[in-house]
Amino acid sequence: MTLLWIPLLTLLGVLVPVFTERYGRGVLSLATATLPAVALALTLLQIPTLLEGDIPRVSLAWLPELGLDLAFRLDGLSLLFALLILGIGLLIILYAAFYLSAEEASGRFFAYLMLFMTAMVGIVMADNLLLLWLFWELTSLSSFLLIGFWSHSSEARKGARMAMTVTGAGGLALLAGLLLLGDMVGSFDLGVVLESGDAIRADSRYPLMLVLVLLGAFTKSAQFPFQFWLPHAMSAPTPVSAYLHSATMVKAGIFLMARLHPAIGDTALWGWIVTLTGMATFLYGAWFALIKTDLKAILAFSTVSHLGLITVLLGVGSPMAILAALFHIINHATFKGSLFMSAGIIDHETGTRELSKLGGLRKAMPVTAVLVSLAAAAMAGVPLLNGFLSKEMFFTELLDTPLLGGLGWLLPTLATLGGILSVAYSLRLVHAVFFKPAKESPPKSPHEPPHLMRLPVELLVTVCVLVGIIPAVLATGLLDLATRAVLGEALEFHLAIWHGFNVPLLMSVLALAIGILVYAMHSHIRRLARQFAPVDARRSFEQGTQTLVAATQAITLRLENGSLQRYMSLLLGASLLLATLGLLDLPTLAGDKPSQPLDGVLILGAALLIFGAVGTAVTHRYRLISLLMLSVVGLLVSLTFARFSAPDLALTQLSVEVVTMILLMLALFFLPQKTPRESTAKRNIRDLLLAGSLGMVVASLNYAVLTRDMSSIAHFFMENSIPGGGGHNVVNVILVDFRGFDTLGEITVLALAGLAIFKLLNRLRLFMPHSDGEGRLWSPDRYPMILTSVSQALLPLALLVSAFIFLRGHNQPGGGFIAGLIAAVALILVYMARGVEWAQSRLDFQYQPVAIAGVAVATLTGLGSWAFGRPFLTSAFGHFHLPILGDFELATAMLFDLGVFLAVVGATLMILANLGKLTTPHRPSKEPATTTPGKEKKS
Amino acid sequence: MTYLIALLPLILVCATAVAVMLGIAWQRHHASTVLTAVVGLNLALLSLVAVHQVAPFETLLVAVDGLAIFGAVLVLVSTLACATLAHAYLEHYRGPREEFYLLLLCAAAGGLVLVSSRHMATLFFGLELLSMPLYGMLAYAFHERRSLEAGIKYLVLSAAATAFLLFGMALAYAQTGRLDLAGLTAGLGEGGGAWGLAGAGLILVGLGFKLSLVPFHLWTPDVYEGGPGPAATFLASASKVAVVIVLLRLVIESPAFAHVGVHQILAVLAFASMLIGNLLALTQANLKRLLGYSSIAHFGYLLVALVVAEGLAVETAAVYLVMYVVTTLGAFGVVTLVSSRDISGDAAALHHYRGLFWRRPYLTAVLTVALLSLAGIPFTAGFIGKFYIVALGVEAGRWWLVGGLIVGSAIGLYYYLRVMVTLYLVEPGMQRHDAPHDWGTRAGGVVVLGLAALVVLLGVYPTPIIEWAAALGVAHG
Repeated sequence: MTLLWIPLLTLLGVLVPVFTERYGRGVLSLATATLPAVALALTLLQIPTLLEGDIPRVSLAWLPELGLDLAFRLDGLSLLFALLILGIGLLIILYAAFYLSAEEASGRFFAYLMLFMTAMVGIVMADNLLLLWLFWELTSLSSFLLIGFWSHSSEARKGARMAMTVTGAGGLALLAGLLLLGDMVGSFDLGVVLESGDAIRADSRYPLMLVLVLLGAFTKSAQFPFQFWLPHAMSAPTPVSAYLHSATMVKAGIFLMARLHPAIGDTALWGWIVTLTGMATFLYGAWFALIKTDLKAILAFSTVSHLGLITVLLGVGSPMAILAALFHIINHATFKGSLFMSAGIIDHETGTRELSKLGGLRKAMPVTAVLVSLAAAAMAGVPLLNGFLSKEMFFTELLDTPLLGGLGWLLPTLATLGGILSVAYSLRLVHAVFFKPAKESPPKSPHEPPHLMRLPVELLVTVCVLVGIIPAVLATGLLDLATRAVLGEALEFHLAIWHGFNVPLLMSVLALAIGILVYAMHSHIRRLARQFAPVDARRSFEQGTQTLVAATQAITLRLENGSLQRYMSLLLGASLLLATLGLLDLPTLAGDKPSQPLDGVLILGAALLIFGAVGTAVTHRYRLISLLMLSVVGLLVSLTFARFSAPDLALTQLSVEVVTMILLMLALFFLPQKTPRESTAKRNIRDLLLAGSLGMVVASLNYAVLTRDMSSIAHFFMENSIPGGGGHNVVNVILVDFRGFDTLGEITVLALAGLAIFKLLNRLRLFMPHSDGEGRLWSPDRYPMILTSVSQALLPLALLVSAFIFLRGHNQPGGGFIAGLIAAVALILVYMARGVEWAQSRLDFQYQPVAIAGVAVATLTGLGSWAFGRPFLTSAFGHFHLPILGDFELATAMLFDLGVFLAVVGATLMILANLGKLTTPHRPSKEPATTTPGKEKKS
Repeated sequence: MTYLIALLPLILVCATAVAVMLGIAWQRHHASTVLTAVVGLNLALLSLVAVHQVAPFETLLVAVDGLAIFGAVLVLVSTLACATLAHAYLEHYRGPREEFYLLLLCAAAGGLVLVSSRHMATLFFGLELLSMPLYGMLAYAFHERRSLEAGIKYLVLSAAATAFLLFGMALAYAQTGRLDLAGLTAGLGEGGGAWGLAGAGLILVGLGFKLSLVPFHLWTPDVYEGGPGPAATFLASASKVAVVIVLLRLVIESPAFAHVGVHQILAVLAFASMLIGNLLALTQANLKRLLGYSSIAHFGYLLVALVVAEGLAVETAAVYLVMYVVTTLGAFGVVTLVSSRDISGDAAALHHYRGLFWRRPYLTAVLTVALLSLAGIPFTAGFIGKFYIVALGVEAGRWWLVGGLIVGSAIGLYYYLRVMVTLYLVEPGMQRHDAPHDWGTRAGGVVVLGLAALVVLLGVYPTPIIEWAAALGVAHG
């Protein structure tokens, strides 16, 4: 259980700075340091258990459904890293207390730092792959917060975002890889995974998984070609750079590779990818470290280079190579951490990090000069310092590796080259800052920093020196435990400074000698480097993003210009594509049903129909003509129904057509005669093409459907119309009987719609035109004589027809709906012929009650069937004989139909008559009817 | 009686709508209208417990089963959130405020029908009942050009999409002679069908439009940007949930629908949505537009579950849906609250949010949590959802889709972070739109805070949701 406390303590540590900020910097940093110190002590307490060969583990179920447990372990590898993270973390807290200026939000900074520490401790101690990944993402997030801490600097924000995007994407790849790994093993438990190495390597999905996992590791550890984010993350405050970007976070990728090495390493593929990537990174970083002039940039690139070195060792993968890798992790953390902190001190004291402005600082800062020189010497691999030992081992392993076969000499050569460059840049760092006389004077006059600020540097450099001199005493125990964790067995090794005269020593000596030479020729190298266009990674990344952004902006502009027409055309195009896909699937267009014979009338009708449709579209800017064309279409559709033996539908269609046309005409009155031309020719062509092809595809689909057998419910109605509803007119029977309930709903809606329109018109104030487009007044002869007389004669006749159609509806074409429409049309005709005034005085009843009465009658009919103990709307029918009309059938459905009739008449008139009245003094508006048209116009 | 209980939520919501309507006719009063709506919705939510007792219950038209209850809960919760947000939002609106709730309730009723539909008739009816009030809600601030434009755009495009949906239904019906989903999909599956693929494709157009999948997504950013906050919230949450549930029924419940062609179409749509949605979000300078694009991408992710359509697909989709809804409600809620001061155009441009943290720290925290969740950062709800999708994709070996998801998420991270950084920037002379000072104690504020808490809670302890989803997976998988 103590194990659980280690990450928990650091997590609690996040809260400490938030609450202690108000007590001042000193208390704040002390309080913040307390919990990690306890955690460090707890970690150290575990060592005896580890030495006994046990691995402390603890596991709590968290989300068993996902295979995610809150499981921690502390084996040698975890121990090594945990000590690094907590130990250096404590030093950084001490350092940062002096580094941050007084007005900066140090509480927030320390909180972020503790969050990051928690995440790192979590990664190294996780005993579950998914838990490891969670902490992995948490490091990305917290490092984003830390890098972007100086959020006022756009440099910092961009650097932070770049780091986050790269490591975040890598993290997702890693997740995919780990999921795959878990799938292959059947568990996310680290213990199980590490034991099933052979099964994993034999799996066919191994290469894919390996690539995904390595993508995650490489992005995190800034390996080539993902190295570019690290130097730009250096815009972070220096304690962050020292902690995240040299000692801990960038080592997470390395840790992952070391951690999973037993499970997924030791294959040719692993060797190739990891070694070569590492070598490329090693050389790339070393070269840029040599030519950069910013102090932190040099350190950043050298970090990239050293990470490459460690990666190479992990790629080689022999037991001694793993040992060397782990050893170098410790060494690098110590010397690079101290160098970063020193760089921060120099920056702090002089106000600049540019090499050209620095120089001769050894007089002002003698102690720092000694410390930096020692750390840089360790970095260069000078004997008696820790860097020398691990670099020696590095050379040895590369000489021994079987990788690359015949080209085996290439790796040691490249390694020596890298060594030369490291010597050169280390030398340059020290010489340029402390010894060479300054070209310009720095912004501030420097002096030694407060002693406590220097203390962390002193401690780390001491470790460098001590490990370098007596490695066996200081490092063996820890490394023994760590290698045991990676390799699964104890490794016999002996750390010593002197191995006799051998090839690696020769390589070291060569590297030192040539490195000094290279630095001597440094100005030539600078000149050489200047000939190449500087590759600024952030600029390329920014440029990449900018290009991407520009491209997306272009797409956005093309797609999303806010034009409804364009959206519509894209929607239609996409649907067209889908429908066409379906058509392509058809073997033949025509099915097996025989076609009906064509005759002249049909062809003529079809031609007229097409003409009408095309005409409607073509003349759409001339509304009246377009409307006339549309009426041709409507008429022909009615005729088509009539021709194909659906007289009933034809009648309905015809009357609906007439009423609609009247409605449109009434609306037309308020619209301008012409629509302005809006579309360009290009758009017209596009629309034409789109409409044409859409029409063709839909027509083809329809043809395909019509020429094949299909089941339909029509037969049911045909067969049941007489026995079930007692009528021969199937449509009417459906309306009033089979689907009576629907119809009841529909007429209710119709009546409601009529009422709503009536109410809407109430408030409407429209411009009342009194002259046409060319300034001619409206004809004073508003009610032509012929129409007046005809309409008067027609009215009773039409009403009679309406009644007739209503009565015969049940068996022959007709019915309440059609009858209602006919009656309404006839009444409207009176309005049109005689004017509102005349008609109003004679039709002095309101339409609203008519419509409502209709609905009421229909409902009551339905309810009536309850009186006979039947379900709602059950119909009954019987035959009766009337003197003149002959044998005739009376059904309760008839009563229902009467309701339909009334509702239709009422609603239609409510809409049409009121719309017509709008321009007359009888308009249904609330204000007094005395307002004259002239006044209206002004308002 | 069973019928009545099974349909109780729907009946309650409709009754509430009628009550609100009568209330408006009698006496306009904003607070009591909201109260009525909220009480009705809560009752409907409670009644789901009773519905659960009679649960697998089917009629010809509706299936009240686990999936329907799941969908109903999400729809009702979203509607509740929208109603409370609308209360804060409309407080300062000069114009009739009460009708908004009427429309909201009608749309919710449509959503309830849709989630339990098992017949083309209810599907269509539900979809239209869901969409129609939305036209009105989107154009509610009709003096505002953008709002009106949003309403009209949605109306016209939605009508076109619906036309295709109907045509597709007709073709599918002609092919199979069935209108119930099970029979229809079975019919389509066995024959392969002459024009069945075209029919299925056109049905997908109609549903894809509502889910704003690429290439039917074009309306989304404009409408999200233009519509009033609560309306956009409803559009992004309840409306999409309901449609996804129907699509789930179509695709997963009836494996016959997993006709090869349809699957490929779905996979292409998913891939395109993930990439294009994220790419286009990259350049947006308006938070509502950005959320619109991000929702396109998110439904691309969700579609991965439908493409795989086996194994844990139902469970994955359900988990993702919950996480998405909670997160989206939170994000839109904040936008709505920030805009609620001033109805003349929503405060959605990113510069309105610059330095919000220094003025409204807790509100900013809510938005940050929501954005983190949308980005799929661990310990938020969004992560669990994304985790499920990746796991499903990896298990099924759909590498293209997993790749698209990873690339899309990386791009997503970039722009979510941009917004987050903006929130914390300090710059002089900022401050324009803002939430009212007492936002935290108002209903809307409480809802938003609760949602943020829920996002984190579900991110850390999603077990209840996972168990619920797993039960669904067993019942429907």
